[in-house]
Amino acid sequence: MSQQATLTVEHLSVSYDAGDTPLRAVRDVSFSIAPGEAYGLIGESGSGKTTVAFAMMNYLRGGRIEGGRILLQGQPIQDLPKSELRQIRGNKVAMVYQDPMSSLNPGIRVGEQIAEALRYHGIADRAGARARAVRLLADVNLPDPEAMVDRYPHQLSGGQQQRIVIAMALACEPDLVIMDEPTTGLDVTTEAVILDLIRELRHKINASILFISHNIAVVAKVCDRVGVLYAGELVEEGRVAEVIRRPKHPYTVGLVASMPSGTDRSQRLASIKGSLPDLTKVPQGCIFADRCLISRDVCLAERPPAIEVGPAHISRCLFPDEAQDVIQKAEARVVAPARAAGPAETVMHIDDLKLWYTRRRGLRVWHKPQPVRAVNGVTLDIEAGRTLAVVGESGSGKSTLARCVVGLVPPTGGAIEFHGERLGGRARQRGVKTRQRIQIIFQNPESALNPQRTVGEIIARPLKLYNCVEPSRIDERVAELMKAVNLPARYASRYPHQLSGGEKQRVSIARVLGTEPDLIICDEPTSALDISVQAAVLNALSDLQARHGLSYMFISHDLGVVRYISDRVAVMYLGVVVETGPTEAVFKAPHHPYTESLVAALPDLSGNGEKPEVRLQGTPPSPTARIKGCVFASRCPRKVGAICETTPPPVQNLADGRKLACHIPVDELARLQGAVPAVAVG
Amino acid sequence: MQAIELILRRVVLMIVILFAVSFLTFLIVHVLPGDVANAILGDLATPDQVELVRQRMGLNEPVLLRYWHWVTAFASGDFGMSLAYNTPIAPLVFERLANSVILALISLAVAVPISVALGVLAAMYQGSIIDRIITGTVVLFFALPEYVVALMLILIFSIWLGWLPGSSLIPPGGSVLANFPAIVLPVTVVTVGMLAYLSQVTRASMVAALRANYVRTADLKGLPGYIVVVKHALRNAMLPALVEIGLNFGYTLGGLVIVETVFSYAGIGQLLMMAVQSRDIPTIQAVVIVIAAAYGIGNLIADVISIALNPKLRT
Repeated sequence: MSQQATLTVEHLSVSYDAGDTPLRAVRDVSFSIAPGEAYGLIGESGSGKTTVAFAMMNYLRGGRIEGGRILLQGQPIQDLPKSELRQIRGNKVAMVYQDPMSSLNPGIRVGEQIAEALRYHGIADRAGARARAVRLLADVNLPDPEAMVDRYPHQLSGGQQQRIVIAMALACEPDLVIMDEPTTGLDVTTEAVILDLIRELRHKINASILFISHNIAVVAKVCDRVGVLYAGELVEEGRVAEVIRRPKHPYTVGLVASMPSGTDRSQRLASIKGSLPDLTKVPQGCIFADRCLISRDVCLAERPPAIEVGPAHISRCLFPDEAQDVIQKAEARVVAPARAAGPAETVMHIDDLKLWYTRRRGLRVWHKPQPVRAVNGVTLDIEAGRTLAVVGESGSGKSTLARCVVGLVPPTGGAIEFHGERLGGRARQRGVKTRQRIQIIFQNPESALNPQRTVGEIIARPLKLYNCVEPSRIDERVAELMKAVNLPARYASRYPHQLSGGEKQRVSIARVLGTEPDLIICDEPTSALDISVQAAVLNALSDLQARHGLSYMFISHDLGVVRYISDRVAVMYLGVVVETGPTEAVFKAPHHPYTESLVAALPDLSGNGEKPEVRLQGTPPSPTARIKGCVFASRCPRKVGAICETTPPPVQNLADGRKLACHIPVDELARLQGAVPAVAVG
Repeated sequence: MQAIELILRRVVLMIVILFAVSFLTFLIVHVLPGDVANAILGDLATPDQVELVRQRMGLNEPVLLRYWHWVTAFASGDFGMSLAYNTPIAPLVFERLANSVILALISLAVAVPISVALGVLAAMYQGSIIDRIITGTVVLFFALPEYVVALMLILIFSIWLGWLPGSSLIPPGGSVLANFPAIVLPVTVVTVGMLAYLSQVTRASMVAALRANYVRTADLKGLPGYIVVVKHALRNAMLPALVEIGLNFGYTLGGLVIVETVFSYAGIGQLLMMAVQSRDIPTIQAVVIVIAAAYGIGNLIADVISIALNPKLRT
């Protein structure tokens, strides 16, 4: 490199104290970032990516740098005294955090939170710092920056909060900005806007970026080069497009193949078997060897060196040219059974379902409370043996709909019919048989499993509750169920905390299967899981559907997952279904403007964000607002006029079985969208 | 507007609670088995005396009517006549209340800054020797009953050293503030009692605040350490601590029976003690309600302060 690198990391090792033996979280990681370059660091949970990020600021709570050097413009920072570190933090190196809500001080106005850094680094006086804060808010595209500086964090939406955090990071014109999963907690459409902003700012500011993420597609969108971290080691590094197209390390291959948005739905996702090694006992050979499908004896002997596998492309694999073989060898990768076509029997019919929460207040002096219209007139059919996906962003009412369907909360209006029979609002008003046949899998397996019970007891519980099998056959049945979800039989005596996240979710599935349900409501079943683990859970769900003819209602915010798993999709916004239809048709040419924005927001692996894309601005209206016209009117990029605000849109039926609620005739929508091609995924 | 509504709700709730307290106090003395007049006069009373007391207290009327009369009179400032002193209760109670408020405010003014400082120090050096010394000492003092601390202080400072008066007797009509040395020891005892609790509450919320992501943000902005601790952490940590301070204010007003008795301090706690000893039931009732109101007002003050400090409630 001709120029001096902004950041050079040489053989960095970081350990945490964990009982007797230290946890060696990061080992011998080296990389460098050129001025103005954006470098992505991807890895799953436990890969050490956040540790690396905070090590760049020498800010490791409970951890210490065991070896190696971190050079900021040639100056080593790992041994600097506190006072000199303070000169660097926020000034030369700044950070954007994962959770903007908790990273901003709730008690201080956002303008002051930006301005104080400028003052303490001696860049501006009080008035100057404030003026600069206003300019920074304009730079990150916040509306009305003059008023915005005096707001408190809780008055802003998640996306606006993250813009504040970005403005804060840019305040002192740092040489390096570290972004630690900056879009992970955000909705898809907000994520897209923030990523656009980061791309835009890259041209304006002169900083290098270290971008930490678990999502390759996000990294592809903003970064020039990428490093892949696995269990604390950098296993591959290269240009982003090159690494995604021709990964040369089996782990990277698995990671790319396990992304649903990068996979054709007729294929199975390649999950990575096993789990992270114990980093208190680091193996002497290749760190990935025990999970690698092409590993040999030589891999166990010593750690592979960094091998140059292409221009500026290195891999720590002894057999980089065989890395692609893991896809063929992945046991999970069997071609999924062909989906049945044609009409199917309706398992459940949801008719004009409404669920309004009324906020209880002590004194109703000033205003009559408006109910929260969480679900506001939803009509859907779930077909036997098929999967209906319900997608929407946070606050769309999709989870409330799920809770209503299983009878956890009684609806305010409308009806649910199950096999033609009308269901009671609460689960306990429904017959035992009905309860048994409708089951739910929750988002977070950590909290859905009783920590005091063994896996065997957890799975046996519904069997006893519903008298599913003879008491003498329970153990046998538990073993069958565990086998059905690919859990080893020895796990029956283990407790949930001894299992990984993906294994726990498979226990949840096994528990639900025991009652032999017809319909399973899956409420974000994989969103708490890593991508490679998600693949295993999705594969398990697909298998079971094919084998037992199960019907699923699959609630998710992840369009990639939805496209992979579902037959039909319903798109929810503010308690209402705006578009529904066969999944492929909806994704290929999304017609409702909201669906269109949602699909456009999905980062794809192609990495070229050059195509014009529709973006949603602003935030959804409050769920207590009484909306006369179209729910989406306030943010709709294709709004036609006053009619959108005043009249509910008509439902248009399409030839391919789609329904959408919009004032614009579908032919016109298609024409408009032809000019702005909808983004195809994968 | 949200803040005003919140405060109004607390005020309404407080009034409801005061009614409940008044009704309970009323019931306890009037409905419990045994005759009130007998209880007041003791075993040696003649039937005539009993009848006289019954009439003076209106004990021959129905319970609810009596309660109504009592509450309406109370609300208009007529607390009735003290049976022991044979004077109107209201001026007596308010004079004593003023003395207790002075003791409470001075004690809080001393205890709050010290306990916040100790709590912050302990939290900043959590787990270190400083933390252990602070926590250990305040817990030790907390474990000692108030009268033990009081007697120890009297022994050391007034009997052995002779620096301070051991009794806080104030001449009738004299002001507490004019006799400042007299209240040093009572203030010390109350402060020591509050210290343990307040400093541990501050410590706990400060530990949580120092771990919060926004403190990490402040650190990584390169701000000086004291700014991070005071402006970013303490400001948010004070919210839960303030609620405790408000509760302590009520406690100080009403719960100082022992301290006021040991030092013969003419506060409301001592009045309660004397009223109980002399079976002065109207005075007991009045004092109990005033103490309950003090608790309520202490809480209300804490609520108002925390609303003022919390932008989520304020705006």
